[in-house]
Amino acid sequence: MTTLREAPPAAGPGPSQAGPPPRGPRIFRRTLAYVSLVAVTLLVLLPLGWMVTSSLKRNNEVFTIPIEWIPREFRWSNYVEIWEQIPMATYLGNSLYLSVVITFLQVLTGSFAAYGFSKVSFPCRDGLFLAYIATIAVPWQAYMVPQYIMMQRADLINTHLSIILLQAFGAFGVFLMRQYYMSIPDELCQAARIDGLSEYGIYRRIILPLSKPALASLALLTFVSTWNDYMGPFIYLTSNELWTVQLGLRSFVGQYQADYAMIMTGAVLSVLPVMVIFLFGQRYFIQGIATSGLKG
Amino acid sequence: MIPSNPPKARVRRHLVKTAGVAAALALAVAACGGGGSGETAEGGGSTTLTITVWNLAKTPEFTALFDAFEKANPGVTVKPADILADDYPEKVTTMLAGGDKTDVITMKNVTDYSRYSARGQLLDITDMVKSTDTSKLAGLDAFNVNDSYFALPYRQDFWLLYYNKAMFDKANIKLDGPITWDDYAKYAQQLSQGDGNQKVYGTYHHTWRSVIQAISAAQTGGDQLSGDYNFFADQYNMALGLQKGGNALDFGTATAQQADYRTMFETAATAMMPMGTWYISGILEAKEKGESQVDWALAPMPQRPGATDVTTFGSPTAFAVNKRSENADLARKFVQFAASKAGAEAITKVGVVPALQDPAITEAYFGLKGMPADDLSKKAFEPDKVVLEMPVSDKTSDVDTILNEEHQLIMVGDKSVTEGIKSMSDRVKSEVLN
Amino acid sequence: MAHVMTHPAPGGSQTPRRRRAWRDTLIGWSFILPNFLGFALFTLVPVLAAFALAFMEWDSANDPEWVGLENFARLWNDENFHVALRNTIYYSAGHIPLTLAAALGLAMALNRRLRGVEFFRTAAFFPYVTSLVAVAVVWNMLFNPTAGPVNLFLEAIGVQDPPRWVASTDWAMPAVIATSVWRDMGYYMVLYLAGLQTIPKEYYEAAMVDGANAWQRFWRITIPSLRPTTFFVLVMLTIQSFKVLDLIVVMTDGGPGRSTLVLAQLIFREGIREGEFGYSSAIALVLFLLVFTVTVVQFRINERRSS
Repeated sequence: MTTLREAPPAAGPGPSQAGPPPRGPRIFRRTLAYVSLVAVTLLVLLPLGWMVTSSLKRNNEVFTIPIEWIPREFRWSNYVEIWEQIPMATYLGNSLYLSVVITFLQVLTGSFAAYGFSKVSFPCRDGLFLAYIATIAVPWQAYMVPQYIMMQRADLINTHLSIILLQAFGAFGVFLMRQYYMSIPDELCQAARIDGLSEYGIYRRIILPLSKPALASLALLTFVSTWNDYMGPFIYLTSNELWTVQLGLRSFVGQYQADYAMIMTGAVLSVLPVMVIFLFGQRYFIQGIATSGLKG
Repeated sequence: MIPSNPPKARVRRHLVKTAGVAAALALAVAACGGGGSGETAEGGGSTTLTITVWNLAKTPEFTALFDAFEKANPGVTVKPADILADDYPEKVTTMLAGGDKTDVITMKNVTDYSRYSARGQLLDITDMVKSTDTSKLAGLDAFNVNDSYFALPYRQDFWLLYYNKAMFDKANIKLDGPITWDDYAKYAQQLSQGDGNQKVYGTYHHTWRSVIQAISAAQTGGDQLSGDYNFFADQYNMALGLQKGGNALDFGTATAQQADYRTMFETAATAMMPMGTWYISGILEAKEKGESQVDWALAPMPQRPGATDVTTFGSPTAFAVNKRSENADLARKFVQFAASKAGAEAITKVGVVPALQDPAITEAYFGLKGMPADDLSKKAFEPDKVVLEMPVSDKTSDVDTILNEEHQLIMVGDKSVTEGIKSMSDRVKSEVLN
Repeated sequence: MAHVMTHPAPGGSQTPRRRRAWRDTLIGWSFILPNFLGFALFTLVPVLAAFALAFMEWDSANDPEWVGLENFARLWNDENFHVALRNTIYYSAGHIPLTLAAALGLAMALNRRLRGVEFFRTAAFFPYVTSLVAVAVVWNMLFNPTAGPVNLFLEAIGVQDPPRWVASTDWAMPAVIATSVWRDMGYYMVLYLAGLQTIPKEYYEAAMVDGANAWQRFWRITIPSLRPTTFFVLVMLTIQSFKVLDLIVVMTDGGPGRSTLVLAQLIFREGIREGEFGYSSAIALVLFLLVFTVTVVQFRINERRSS
């Protein structure tokens, strides 16, 4: 049997101060849990609700003062009009393409590199890792222009490739995966080495299958941040046919005025794919305590 | 007049400070730099002209201009580079830094113009400006950088008073000439009514500082870059008074709820609203689509007591030629076209106020469907004096930031008018002018 | 220490050991390289360029000019910088611990078998994907000084003269912090949920046998086992807090006055907007050094705890 290095000794064998918890009526505790969950959920969903009702209003009724929660008339036609006013399908397609490619590359190279940073030791490893994390601390606005000039020299402006290259190799994924790998006991790798597996084999056969929850959460978070990114695509993509959803939504903002009803309609549409992914993806990163596979 | 190879480092130090040197440098760089701008394929056949614009789909003036230009110049195709309006200057700055070659750059505001021209990123078109009749071109002065020009305005927006005619009729108030700010405040009180959801405000001041500050400067002759701001006081007192009396929407609420001036006016939540001429096309569209039932008309901006002329403020929009354009001749031609009568006619048709002032154009403008036809509206459209919203210098944006911050503090009641004005003066003097 | 165990061979002669170290270096780099290439080229190089600009004056069009420490001297005397620095630290001091606690609390609450828990988990993540404009409008409405539910509640429980929140210089920052905690908690909850999956249930079973109650199990098993996740969350939160920008821009845009002006906003303003790229880079460098110091301290503490 392997023991986890970082695991604490479970509550000592001696009797602990408090006895076993008083088991209140189950129903009561359940109800309490639900009531508090529902309360929190309401607070959490309030702005979303505003977004949805605004998407059903006329533009000049969105920002009424005081706030109006129910549209004076429900304009479902906004959901039809948006497809006519902007090439929403193209934008959605572009966002999907960028998000999927970037997520794939980020998860792949990030988890690969994380293995190097956590399970193989070599000189300067931790220093290099620190440099990785350190760059996350530099706000993008500070190096946006130098980066743009580089891209311009490479003739990559106004291509999807530029966005992919900029975002697929971020330090975030490396950091996240490394932290996760740290909690996988080294003894596991050790045993595999004795069995004759190469480092690549260990990564592929042992670490990767064990890290599904982390891979799934990294994939989700990368997908969402790429999907929601505005400034990157804005600076690098000029041709309308390359635009993403977030750019498309802002095209309803004019110099002096904006079509907020359409923006909210688009925002609702752009949230839907994320919601679907989250709903179906969560079973991968929440497998339940019972199936956690770290037994010796 | 300038050594062909100026010691760059030294020149640049002053460059940011004196735009004149920059203009000279621009010439020098043009002389010794690439210099291939003149020899473009102009020998017939089709040529493509690229132009940066914002929000092409929602800004019909661009398409109108491009179509007219293509029609007047067979074989030429205009290819707009569509940029989102919100962050237009940021993107253009980045593009130019990267050496972008887009031929024509639209100048969204004068401050950005002064930056690009000072950095030597725009082509000097002084010769073209001097050789055309520009006497009727409003807002041209704003582009004069030490007697050099790097852009020509094609559009000039200025401020006037929008009012809800039905509400005025109901309150038995008749407007037949320019009013004073005192009248304005009095009307605002009379016109306020209702509560809660039904609340109608007498007037609406949007959250921009210009609503108070630029108009004070224009009408008192005050200088917003001077560091002395006592001339703001009357306007602040008036605005705060209206706000306190519930006759104008409270500033804190307006910012927090992101109050939208269109909503305020089009849902009849306010009876009056000082706003720029750009909104004319907006309200025309809303009425046409049946999104608003408001019966509206225009009046000149209210004046200070005793004023004989109508003075307001405004800001021009212009086209400039990119220094790196490989199609400079055609680009210059376009810039000239946009400022000409043909250009003005094209954009008038979509409800935009051109920089070129001409009775025929005003006539055409009021011929648009849905325009109010009364005399006062027409008078509002021809103010005697339009002062530039904010003077241009290398201090402009720093001063602008300070004035804006202190504006917020006065309007939310964090500082009294006297305190706020004093702190504007102190900060501008110590942080910017020193 | 784990890596020493990888190659125990104490009796090995010098040569094989060195060869092995060499081999490890090669293997390590082969793992890192695919990501590192992209990272170095597209992030590291521009970042270093930006740092170099901190010692120069550059308007983005003409050649940069070396000015040494001039930008930093200017920074030292720039009141905007002082205000922004103070506000950034204020924001971080509120945002980091509160988000950490809220995210962990949510993860604990939602990491159980409960009917419909998938829905609640999705809902908790929603603030992070909701349009920022919607977030700003609704929260500003909740915090409305006169008619907002927050103040109505405060008045109902007897608070005289409740705060004016975003319409006041003193209370705008707390309002921003509350909104940002609300927005980010779902994001970090996802990380905690993943972290919770690594704790073998045997630990809990053993603890139950020993009679530990829920509270004790939380402190003695959950918290220590989550340390790598917490470390990650803490570092990311620190970094994100110090460079917060978008929520503030939409919610208050630094106002009223300068009461919510933060460093990232100043960097944006001085750089791309004003064209003072050298000065803006200098601010970025200071911000970077600040975050870096905090992160290194966190690293040290983490290392000490885990060994």
